[in-house]
Amino acid sequence: MKIVVCIKQVPKSDSVKIDPKTNNMIRDNVEGVINPFDKNAIEAALTIRDQLGGEVIILSMGPDSYMSSLRDGLAMGADRAVLLSSRAFGGADTLATGYTISQALKKIGDVDLVLFGRQSVDADTGQVGPIVAQYLDVPQITFVEQLRMIDQHTLIGQRLLDGSTQQVQVTLPAVVTVRAELNTPRYETPVNIQSSFEKNVDVWDEHDIDLDKSRIGQAGSPTVVKRVFAPDKKGRQTKTLNGNAKKAVQELLGQINN
Amino acid sequence: MTQTEIWVYVQTNQTSVEPTSLQLITKAKEIAVNQRVVAVMPTVVSEKLINEVQEYGPDKIITLEDDRFKTATDTEIADVLYQVVSTRKPNSLLIPATVIGRSVAPRLQAMLQTGLTADCLDVYFDGDTLVQVKPTYGDDIMCEITCPDHQPQMATVRPNVFKAVKQNNDTTIEKADFEFHPETQVKASTPQSIISSAANIGDANVVVALGRGASSPAIIEKARKLAAKLGGMVGVSRPLTDSDEFGHESQIGQSGQSIAPDLLINFGISGAVQYLVGIENAKTIVSVNTDPDAPILAASDYAFVGDANDFMDNLLEQVR
Ligand SMILES: Cc1cc2nc3c(=O)[nH]c(=O)nc-3n(C[C@H](O)[C@H](O)[C@H](O)COP(=O)(O)OP(=O)(O)OC[C@H]3O[C@@H](n4cnc5c(N)ncnc54)[C@H](O)[C@@H]3O)c2cc1C
Ligand SMILES: Nc1ncnc2c1ncn2[C@@H]1O[C@H](COP(=O)(O)O)[C@@H](O)[C@H]1O
Repeated sequence: MKIVVCIKQVPKSDSVKIDPKTNNMIRDNVEGVINPFDKNAIEAALTIRDQLGGEVIILSMGPDSYMSSLRDGLAMGADRAVLLSSRAFGGADTLATGYTISQALKKIGDVDLVLFGRQSVDADTGQVGPIVAQYLDVPQITFVEQLRMIDQHTLIGQRLLDGSTQQVQVTLPAVVTVRAELNTPRYETPVNIQSSFEKNVDVWDEHDIDLDKSRIGQAGSPTVVKRVFAPDKKGRQTKTLNGNAKKAVQELLGQINN
Repeated sequence: MTQTEIWVYVQTNQTSVEPTSLQLITKAKEIAVNQRVVAVMPTVVSEKLINEVQEYGPDKIITLEDDRFKTATDTEIADVLYQVVSTRKPNSLLIPATVIGRSVAPRLQAMLQTGLTADCLDVYFDGDTLVQVKPTYGDDIMCEITCPDHQPQMATVRPNVFKAVKQNNDTTIEKADFEFHPETQVKASTPQSIISSAANIGDANVVVALGRGASSPAIIEKARKLAAKLGGMVGVSRPLTDSDEFGHESQIGQSGQSIAPDLLINFGISGAVQYLVGIENAKTIVSVNTDPDAPILAASDYAFVGDANDFMDNLLEQVR
């Protein structure tokens, strides 16, 4: 089995701030971590490898600072990693990202299973997985909460829809996007952390992959951000509760119980 | 073509039309200036479902009828939509941000080589340009995204932000030809509805919500007691889902759940837009925050400036 897990590095929890003057994200000093759902994807890959053998490769597109997340993925137990890093990839929306990743997957070659998180917690789109599936022309199972290999070529996933569940069986190769309910990601062990530094990380730019230059980076991104603004809040008539907490609670209970 | 078209993907299962699809028909009619509103509907053969869509008054319904839609895969649905969209070239395409919508849309986007904005809270036209509004990174910021040079302009739109309203209209109903290309490597079962035994904060009448300013183990325990006393549940803002105590299912907000309880009490939550969009439909909102300028206070019916723990203790004491 050759399994690739696509991961994104995201700002730790909610440390992102917007510069009030320029409306740009302040990225300096923001600690990056693996997108939480992508850790579930790594765990799923490692579980399958432990069961059936094979290789787990971490793949990510982003700046060199993403290296720390790749190392974390290797420290969880992945075998090797590939970072797609170049200025030419910058400014990519999901379409360009999906294209670039799919071309890198073709270069990696003979991939049986590509795993994604259900969405990244910063961009929050969940689009990259299905786009890659389309470009590779393989089936997808999205939002998976249970996953089982029945043999080397067949996988059954249970996806959670809005208010229902669905069983989907696919013959590999395929793309799967996973929910947090799927599993509990393992911790990095000291031994794995140590060995992660001996594992191979390839860094590829636009010259290393077969790419149509008009389909990557900003040029390959159909969407543009037109305006950033602070929304009007639908205000409510706010009643301030005065006094100490005891009095305030008394007042509150008096009002809402009527 | 003299008049451009705005299409709505109507999601169906065997017996019902997914409600967001109807909300989007109403919304499309509201924002259409020169555009005709067209519902495009892959469906099992069912007059009942088509009639239901017609009640919401789109200018046209394009039905794509085949009983295999009972268990169609994302790819099969995207492929069928691709056939009609690529030949008729609508100006824009709105898609419910349901699990199915969010799985089909990006596949279709890749087939069509166009842009797609996820999980919008609003959309409107500026001429023929569809402006897609969604919250973005960070604090209290929304952004407007457009797709100037490619069509259709595609957006998935969050469920329950618009109301579906029935309207009379001379709706044309057209049964379109297409080929159903079965995806042979995949076998999908009929979706089974979940008999929800696990309580859901989306259905709770009372929600006690905790944020980063109310995240100590002690206050979490108290909040659970308070929720039990009030017959409600504990929900959280996003930072608390990093802890072991709470999972994604407890998260309120844009990337969590929208809630609509009779009573919501917020402790130590600042009130970022991504949180506020999830609580708009709460009936009575009470918020406790040490910062008098926290946005959550202005979004509340009752505000207390002070310590969450202190207020919680008093509530626990006084609520019977
Ligand atoms: C794409 C995207 C999607 C997102 N989706 C969601 C989402 O679905 N849900 C969500 O919640 N967030 C979401 N966020 C994050 C959101 O932007 C905020 O960062 C988050 O809601 C902040 O959580 P908070 O209010 O608990 O924490 P903070 O913003 O840190 O606020 C803590 C508050 O507690 C107050 N406080 C501190 N001490 C006390 C005390 N002793 N007593 C009382 N008050 C106290 C402080 O004054 C402050 O107002 C999303 C962000 C992005 C980028
Ligand atoms: N730059 C990237 N590099 C590698 N994988 C990515 C990247 N962006 C997104 N992904 C993957 O796609 C999933 C969905 O991301 P998104 O479409 O941004 O919500 C993530 O959970 C990752 O698995």
